[in-house]
Amino acid sequence: MDSSSVFPENGLPVQHAGEHLWLLPERALWWPAERVLFIADLHLGKAATYRALGQPVPAGTTRENLARLSRLLQAYRPAQLVFLGDFLHAAQARTPSVLDALAQWRDAHADVQCLLVRGNHDDRAGDPPVTLRIQVVDEPWPTGTFAACHHPQRHATRTVIAGHLHPVLSLRGRGREHLRLPCFCFEAGCIILPAFGEFTGGWTLSPQPGRQLYPVGGQAVWRLPEG
Amino acid sequence: MRRAAITGEATTAPTPAASATFVSKALQDWFAARGWKPFGFQREVWKAVKKGESGLLHATTGAGKTYAVWLAALQAFAPTRPSRAAALPLTVLWLTPMRALAADTVRALQAPLDALYPAQPGAAAWTIGARTGDTASGERSAQSRRLPSVLVTTPESLSVLLSRADAKEVLGTLRMVVVDEWHELLGNKRGVQVQLALARLKTWRSAAGEKALSVWGMSATLGNLEEAMGTLLGQPGGTLVRGQVPKKLVIDSLLPASSERFPWGGHLGLTMLPQVIAEIESSTTTLVFTNTRSQSEIWYQALLAAKPEWAGLIALHHGSLDRGVREWVELGLKKGELRAVVCTSSLDLGVDFLPVERVLQIGSPKGVARLLQRAGRSGHAPGRPSRLTLVPTHSIEMVEGAAARAAIAAGHIEARTSPEQPLDVLVQHLVTVALGGGFLPEDLYAEVRGTAAYAQLSRETWDWCLSFVRQGGPSLAAYPDYRRAVPDEEGVWRVPDARLARRHRMNIGTIVSDASMSVQYLGGARIGSVEESFAARLKPGDCFLFGGRLLEMVRIREMTAWVRRATGKRHAVPRWNGGRMPLSTTLADAVVQQLALAGEGRYETPELQRVRPLLEIQQQWSALPTPHTLLAEVLKTREGWHLFLYPFAGRHVHLGLASLIAWRVAQHAPRTFSIAVNDYGFELLCAQEVDWPALLPQVLRVGHDARSQEAMAHGDAEAGRRAALLHEVLQSLNASELAQRRFREIARVSGLIFQGYPGEKRSNKQLQASSSLFWEVFRKYDPANKLLLQAEQELLAQELEIGRLRDSLTRMNTQQLVVQQVPRPTPFSFPLMVERFREQLSNESVADRIARIVTQLEKAAGAGRPSFSDEEAVQKVRQTLAFGQETRASDVTKSQRRSRKPSRPLPPL
Repeated sequence: MDSSSVFPENGLPVQHAGEHLWLLPERALWWPAERVLFIADLHLGKAATYRALGQPVPAGTTRENLARLSRLLQAYRPAQLVFLGDFLHAAQARTPSVLDALAQWRDAHADVQCLLVRGNHDDRAGDPPVTLRIQVVDEPWPTGTFAACHHPQRHATRTVIAGHLHPVLSLRGRGREHLRLPCFCFEAGCIILPAFGEFTGGWTLSPQPGRQLYPVGGQAVWRLPEG
Repeated sequence: MRRAAITGEATTAPTPAASATFVSKALQDWFAARGWKPFGFQREVWKAVKKGESGLLHATTGAGKTYAVWLAALQAFAPTRPSRAAALPLTVLWLTPMRALAADTVRALQAPLDALYPAQPGAAAWTIGARTGDTASGERSAQSRRLPSVLVTTPESLSVLLSRADAKEVLGTLRMVVVDEWHELLGNKRGVQVQLALARLKTWRSAAGEKALSVWGMSATLGNLEEAMGTLLGQPGGTLVRGQVPKKLVIDSLLPASSERFPWGGHLGLTMLPQVIAEIESSTTTLVFTNTRSQSEIWYQALLAAKPEWAGLIALHHGSLDRGVREWVELGLKKGELRAVVCTSSLDLGVDFLPVERVLQIGSPKGVARLLQRAGRSGHAPGRPSRLTLVPTHSIEMVEGAAARAAIAAGHIEARTSPEQPLDVLVQHLVTVALGGGFLPEDLYAEVRGTAAYAQLSRETWDWCLSFVRQGGPSLAAYPDYRRAVPDEEGVWRVPDARLARRHRMNIGTIVSDASMSVQYLGGARIGSVEESFAARLKPGDCFLFGGRLLEMVRIREMTAWVRRATGKRHAVPRWNGGRMPLSTTLADAVVQQLALAGEGRYETPELQRVRPLLEIQQQWSALPTPHTLLAEVLKTREGWHLFLYPFAGRHVHLGLASLIAWRVAQHAPRTFSIAVNDYGFELLCAQEVDWPALLPQVLRVGHDARSQEAMAHGDAEAGRRAALLHEVLQSLNASELAQRRFREIARVSGLIFQGYPGEKRSNKQLQASSSLFWEVFRKYDPANKLLLQAEQELLAQELEIGRLRDSLTRMNTQQLVVQQVPRPTPFSFPLMVERFREQLSNESVADRIARIVTQLEKAAGAGRPSFSDEEAVQKVRQTLAFGQETRASDVTKSQRRSRKPSRPLPPL
């Protein structure tokens, strides 16, 4: 485990709730002290769901999602991988091709411990197959100083790490230049991660006092000037 | 069939069947009873239809075109003796572009039928019904059992009928299809939908060995009527009947007392208000047309503020108002109860409002055909001329009045052509046909190629569309598990999934509106709709002007903005994303002709005389554009180096040209430019020095980088130049972002985006995704998808008008370039500078700055009259900007707006 992989070059280090955290441009959160990698809103099989329901969406998003996840696992070698809900998009997502791809991915990373905090999509899509060896729990799930959740919320004693919103930030530049970027959102007591999955869309958050937004774009995570 | 033989030969056979003449006589009696005499063109249509011909009738509204075609249908196809059968099969289909017109049309068609009943009960056995999106479900289900013998419907509802499993049985009996207001459909995808539907109907007729379907279009004035007819009929030939009704046409302008020398967009608006009021007062009923919905709201409010006693006597009409509100206004117009209606293109079409005496057009009419159409809405009472009065909103627009008159006199009217091969419409049609009895690909390919829009459809593109509806694309692996339409064991393509079938029928159509939010009183009536993006910006307690009322936002819930009446000063005006229509080439050319006349000192029309001081200043300080010269003005200010160029090609083309020239200059040395455009020209501003006199002749030529030179080297010279230009235009604009916007419509029409069932807002959530998300996914995982390509082509053709841009460049290269170094902004350049200020700065400073500059310029021009004080000037500017032709009204009245950053700079190159 060389240090360069633990402290990524293109990630952004932040200090929150007394912990060092890294915001990764792959839209994941790395907690080096406990070697935990947080991922929110994977929505696997979303495109397959669309196709099954008669909407043409090209294949490739699931493969791309899992490939990106594999790269992260190789780079950081986490002890634990935490999915913050919405692992599978819908019941229709459980197609043979999606499940095969998942099984292969799990075989390639057999040693990592996986945890899924159920989200609203998981309620309908059902828990992942047992063979994937993913521990499935309900929110809030305490882990160290944090509480892993799907829905953003406040916890009496812990800082919540959640997803669900697919936060996106609207950046306006000169002229009519306009960029819509996924972002990390930090508020008092709550950290919201961008959606990890491809083809997931987003919910635009506006800057507010007490809310720090970190957009992801161009292979980097950015710190915005105050105001 | 036998019946057709009897009546069809009536005109050629020396002894026509007595019954056929009897119908004609009864109808002629009906004419006579009303004191009417058939016009020549009406007889012409009657004769042509009897002979089984198809064609196009060109006549203005109110000229009797409906009876020309309808009485022809009655005479040719109505049964001659009372039928024992309970009901007659569907015989005549009457297509209208607006569903709101369907009920009126049914009434108009019913009138002669009722009159005929005593004389000829057989002919009166025809039943007439309407079928549109508004048709009540009870009537719908009755129609699904049996259609009336005459059906009035819209292109969308016709496509829904085509998707019925028994489509061939119920529509195969049609003898005649009438397409009303064809000019309105011709140039867009709805017209393509009609072309495809007609091809289907014709196939069924000929497959059954029946006499050919008689297809008749009705169209207002267009520059290419022959082509319009060819597009409708899908084949050469046909009878073009011109309605010769000598109706006098008056086009004039309201002229301001004195022309402001330095016009900014909208400057004259407020000053014209008293004159507009005087015109309304002097007429019985006036239609006041505006170019945008926001503008109609502002003008309505200003009229009411000036004449409070007109409350209830004047009304507002635009497309975002609730149907009930619009119908109430239309009824008031028909009854002559309203003094004036402020409206948008929502009243361009439709039945005649007899009481309308005058039409005012606020701002540029944008095109000659549009102006004629609007003028035609007035003067339907006998002996009255059609009269349209232009109300210029800035000084240069005054020239347009004289120009429009000259263009009409010379017979210069815009042409309208069908879109080329829109694949989204074809993909939708394939599924529709698969539902409506299924299809064999070879047969359907031939049928589709029979339409004007797809005459050049290649085998490869056809195969792509087939594979798209079958499995998402040519590669099986790209869309696993996806199926829409598939061939059955006999090779007939059908839609196997009932759920998909239902969804397709709910989503048929090509009209894509912006996401809108309904506006409704708390516990009360629905008023209309505003765009979601506008509503989203309002906080509870904010006020906005809508439907002529000041409303306070209470809350937003489930796609509805709940409001209550408000009183107060500060408010916003919603802005709808309707396109800003560019000035047509025909009218722009006519304007340049007028300027050339002015250049020769020939100020012969009232409009030119009034704008003379301004044109003379322009001539003194710089020059006037003419058909043979291209005027460029170069100016150095504290802001930097300005170039003003006046190609008179409309705002879309100017945006493309400006970007292109900026891009070409940047090939020589990296530069950043600000761009401003209007319908007459554009401005390029650069902070660094640019040697425009030296550079301009070079950058107006094609072929600036290696790739475009390479493109030119291949193939023939013309194709090479086209390819090179295309490449450059795409390079110069942020084309991918612009194309993404077009993709929204394409994705919706082709069925990529599912809009949901009406009234089912919450279900099917797992299928809702935005078009931008689809755009990204397609670009990344299926870049060869032809619908992406279509988005780019539509962007080029419609938003950038690439054909017109190419023509403009060609023309600019033949014109003599006149470069004027000017010491200060000229009357022509000033509106462009203002256009840029508007984009750049918050409104407060716009007013301050414009007022300051105007005062300076007035001094330089040696104005004899006293200039107003600074405070007054600022106030005046602020007020008048609100009446701007296409002002961002919300910027004006909402003072607490975040300031805008500098406009549209190109990315540093």
